[in-house]
Amino acid sequence: MASRVLGTALFRSGFTVQDAPKYGAERRGAPIFSTVRAARGASEGETINERGIIHRPDLVVVADDTLLAIPAAGTLQGIDPDTVVLVNSRESADTWRHRLNLQGELLILPAGSEVEDRADLPHIGATCAGAAACLLGVIEPEALTTAIDEELGPLGEEAVAENRENASAAFEAMIAHRGIVTEGAAVPAKDYEPPAWVELPVDDASIAAPDIRAAANSVQVRTGLWRTLRPVIDYDLCGKCWWVCSTFCPDSAIAVEGDKPVIDYDHCKGCMVCVGICPPHAIGSIPEYLAQQREQQTIEEGEADGTDPADR
Amino acid sequence: MSETIRRMKDLPSTHLLGTGTPMCSGCGGLEALHQIYDVLGENTVFVNAAGCMTLLSVYPFTPFRGSWLYTAMGSAPAGAQGVRDALDILLQQGRLPPEDDLQVVVLTGDGSAYGMGMSATSGAMDRDLDFIYICYDNEGYGNTGQQYSSATPHGATTATSCGSRGYPGYKKDLFSVWSAHRPSYVATVIGSEPLDLAKKIEKARDMTGPRMIIALSPCPTGWDYDPKDSVDIGKLAVKTGVWPLKEYENGVVTHTRVPRDRPPVEEYLQRQGRFAHLFRPERNEELLAEIQDRVDHYWEEVV
Repeated sequence: MASRVLGTALFRSGFTVQDAPKYGAERRGAPIFSTVRAARGASEGETINERGIIHRPDLVVVADDTLLAIPAAGTLQGIDPDTVVLVNSRESADTWRHRLNLQGELLILPAGSEVEDRADLPHIGATCAGAAACLLGVIEPEALTTAIDEELGPLGEEAVAENRENASAAFEAMIAHRGIVTEGAAVPAKDYEPPAWVELPVDDASIAAPDIRAAANSVQVRTGLWRTLRPVIDYDLCGKCWWVCSTFCPDSAIAVEGDKPVIDYDHCKGCMVCVGICPPHAIGSIPEYLAQQREQQTIEEGEADGTDPADR
Repeated sequence: MSETIRRMKDLPSTHLLGTGTPMCSGCGGLEALHQIYDVLGENTVFVNAAGCMTLLSVYPFTPFRGSWLYTAMGSAPAGAQGVRDALDILLQQGRLPPEDDLQVVVLTGDGSAYGMGMSATSGAMDRDLDFIYICYDNEGYGNTGQQYSSATPHGATTATSCGSRGYPGYKKDLFSVWSAHRPSYVATVIGSEPLDLAKKIEKARDMTGPRMIIALSPCPTGWDYDPKDSVDIGKLAVKTGVWPLKEYENGVVTHTRVPRDRPPVEEYLQRQGRFAHLFRPERNEELLAEIQDRVDHYWEEVV
């Protein structure tokens, strides 16, 4: 949706445009991405001959910052020092620049306030489109709102109004950086330089990568990153029935250790099935970002008074 | 695991199926599969037709502890025949010790079981193939965006039936189609009734010949509800009588749960976005009554 709005806004601003979504599996938790290509001079009949994914993006908008930690999502693929990266996050630009070791420009689109109910999660598409439109510097706010009217009209007035508001707010929030995105030189396929591969001697798979043949090696995939809500067991209330949450958890992410159930947060996807089915209601729900803030706090307090958090 | 499962407390508390799968959060099919795998044990080889669960084993990752084979959508039982034959030859030649023999388990969605794979399945039952078939039935082609399948219930919205009356067809009675082949065993199960499921899988595990299992799999993505409601919706499917829990053995069909005082089916329907058009903007009394009548009629025949 964000790419369609941005594409239409560029089209209304006199560009030749190509925008396309790319889905993997159509399921919750699967990363999705979309691309927009724009060329000046639509009136002169300029066409875009490239197709498919963009190898050298001028702007990358990351709608969910947990994707940055998933290599398979490839959010930063092909960026160079001129690429502007915009991340929807609660963390600061410095934090992300440091984590990702980026030399180029990195901006933060502040993530909205957390919600208790997933159904109230904000629709991020228009926000991303609005912020991107501002950063490109070639789209007037009117073109943006027209694009939203055109693309979302069939969803009804309420949806259009909400998305117009979100897009405009994001546009305003980025106003200090208006036009920061520069046009990268197009790289023709014949000039493509392959990355500097390092040749490594290859051992037999059983030696080089024993994990590949290990049983149940899917545990190396950290699906815990999907979570927006975190289930937490209150052991004072836990009835130690030892099978209910563990059996119903679709992801085998609750095991019984000793006589108590333990949630594997590296893999719990936050479906919250366990919260509803626990007979004595011993499992509560807190927003994931709050849980992480509290964890961070505990670690920092530990560093301050010199104790190891694992000891407490 | 060899002790007989009688009570909830007998259900396993550690699980064989690995975490970290790409299935949707709150997947009712995965919930059933992990319970089934715990009962079947490690000595299983899965033969998987194309579908959501194909993505369980995307190289180099797998949640299984043993082998897994991927087949085309219509031919998983044929793949199972090949695996079973190979195992039998190895056993016969003494190249595989009997204790290392594997249970051959077909795993497919409803698209394959109710539709494309029907012919291969029928043939496998004709040949009395020694295998277990598990169909996770989420009532549509979930992996590609929930287009309708022959398992889609009457009136449901899918990506390819989005009018005001939803899917015009009726859910195929696969239990009866399979039972008509007179295989060793046919059963319906659901992850939200783990004891009933475990008893049936245990029974199937200890038999030979074709053993056919249909697991209704509440699907947050395809049925349009919050993942936390997966178990609730599964329980309602049983309580309202929409999903009868039953088994077929030696020519006889037995209902393992006969719901008394069935609540109206709409309690099940209104929890799911795929039936929202039956309630809003105004109630479609005619269609609601038709769905209820069909369920009532089913249970009148049973008792």
